[in-house]
Amino acid sequence: MSVIAPNFKFSEFVKSILDNLFWILLIFTLVGIPAVQIVLFYIEMPVIDGKLLTPFLALTWLADPSRTLPILKAFMNTDLFRIAAFPGFGFAALIAAGTIFVERKMLAKLQLRVGPFYCGKVEGILQLMGDGLKLISKEIIIPAKADKPIFWAAPVIFVATAAAFVALIPVAPGWVVADVDVGLLAVFAIIGFFPIITILSAWSSNSKFPFIGGIRALHQMVSFEIPLILSLLGVVILTGTLNLSEIVESQTNFPWIIFLPIGAIIFFITILAELERIPFDLPEAESEIVAGWLTEFSGMIYGLVQLGTYLKLYAFAALFVVLFLGGWTGPMIWPPFPEEIITDGIVMGPITAKIPGLPVFSQEMLNGVVWFVIKTVGVIFFILLPRGVFPRIRIDMLLSLGWYKLIGLAFVNIFIALGLLYAGVLGPGGIL
Amino acid sequence: MADAVFLALSVITIGSAIAALEMRSLIYGSIALMGTLGGIAGFFLLLDSPFVAMFQLAVYVGSIAVLILFTVMLVKRELIFKKIEDKRRKFAGIALMLIFMVALGSVIMDSGIKSITTNEPAVDFRNIGADFLTYYWPALILMGLILAGSVTGALVLARREDIQNEQRTD
Repeated sequence: MSVIAPNFKFSEFVKSILDNLFWILLIFTLVGIPAVQIVLFYIEMPVIDGKLLTPFLALTWLADPSRTLPILKAFMNTDLFRIAAFPGFGFAALIAAGTIFVERKMLAKLQLRVGPFYCGKVEGILQLMGDGLKLISKEIIIPAKADKPIFWAAPVIFVATAAAFVALIPVAPGWVVADVDVGLLAVFAIIGFFPIITILSAWSSNSKFPFIGGIRALHQMVSFEIPLILSLLGVVILTGTLNLSEIVESQTNFPWIIFLPIGAIIFFITILAELERIPFDLPEAESEIVAGWLTEFSGMIYGLVQLGTYLKLYAFAALFVVLFLGGWTGPMIWPPFPEEIITDGIVMGPITAKIPGLPVFSQEMLNGVVWFVIKTVGVIFFILLPRGVFPRIRIDMLLSLGWYKLIGLAFVNIFIALGLLYAGVLGPGGIL
Repeated sequence: MADAVFLALSVITIGSAIAALEMRSLIYGSIALMGTLGGIAGFFLLLDSPFVAMFQLAVYVGSIAVLILFTVMLVKRELIFKKIEDKRRKFAGIALMLIFMVALGSVIMDSGIKSITTNEPAVDFRNIGADFLTYYWPALILMGLILAGSVTGALVLARREDIQNEQRTD
């Protein structure tokens, strides 16, 4: 039997829901109707199509799809929608949530375990929601003599920085939150903030394990930033631009991974190191230093750091797709919107509904999003896969890999790009 | 609008610069230093040169501030700094700073900065790069040599002969 709620009775559960419904209706009647009267009495409403726009009329219009669709489309063109929902935070958080579930389930299958199983009956599909509820309801414990302002601020700034990174990623033609001219440089600038936040939060918790983990994270991130930046210079040399959307548009015929495979491999390895994933997860090596710089985080602070980590993972995978795999470009697989719905409306027996404003999204945009998501999910899968396969490597091996091998290979990649450019094969005025 | 942003950036930059000097906690001081460097990046953004602003963020906030932070965390403050505080030193410092700023300001005001037209479009960074590679190429090569020399020097200084590699490398 369940021990969480031993006195659970179904009849009382139904009764409590009915009670809540009663109180909601009562409060809505007592507050809502006077509010409408106050609006009618004090505020001068506009006259539209010869009719006075009362709140009742506004509600009627809102229920009519032929009138709500244009409003919806107008809302989708606002900055708020782009930041909060589609190419921005909501989309990235959705992919991040999917990533967490797939990671746990796939890792379990790789290690011959079951993984999340009970939450949500079907293969533990609601495990993430359960974890989120647990984290929200847990107490946030701050260690004694911790530096409180930094300790509180670091997770929030971590999520904000990851979200700023997400904002630079173009998802479909024209669908990007911040279409800046120097997008790739902005990415480099944002990546530079992560080690600062890590080391500050590690220091502020006044504890040994986080500090060791933070120092390791700093070593790792700072030494892998250099091959990361160098490996992307090849793409910049060949495209002649720093704008991420223009970089995607330059790959309509072929993705750059065909000509710059070395750069792509270096970038992928540095992604693994920047994300602190196995085999480079020394900053949070749980068998040595508990959980590294995350040790003292508890409750929703830990939840925020996890959210930021997975947003960062999505952003790096999307950056790989944008730079090397051609972003949203791909053959047209999305079916065109049926013409007769636009011309004749939807016919259901005797009823014909003509809805202006359809289609909501263009075919190019939907096709681009499908290709982008397919490619990004593929890259995320390859980022997750080493966790079930590889052991953790030592820090001196990590540093020698970063400083000697990857930087050297990155220069090889730059010379390949320069050779292709000066041979007249690629780039502005090239053959291809 | 731009004036309000300019004023806010000035307050942030100068305020965090003063905080970086005056704070007793070295960690907070280096965070304030990051604020100053970030504020300067904001000025570059206001001046229509996002290229320089992004490099300011990537190099100064992302690398140099991290180095300072790292050094500060590994060093015991009491061992290297002796607190000498009295009123006279403080006022002398402030007076020196004022004299210095007035002198610098008068030099700048006397120069041709007033006659610059302000509504011209910003210079594209591609043109600057092209100039560096064509007209100013000796300066570019000289800078490259100096940087390479300093990196090599740092490597030589950091190298330690007395430590054998005790760990397996394979």
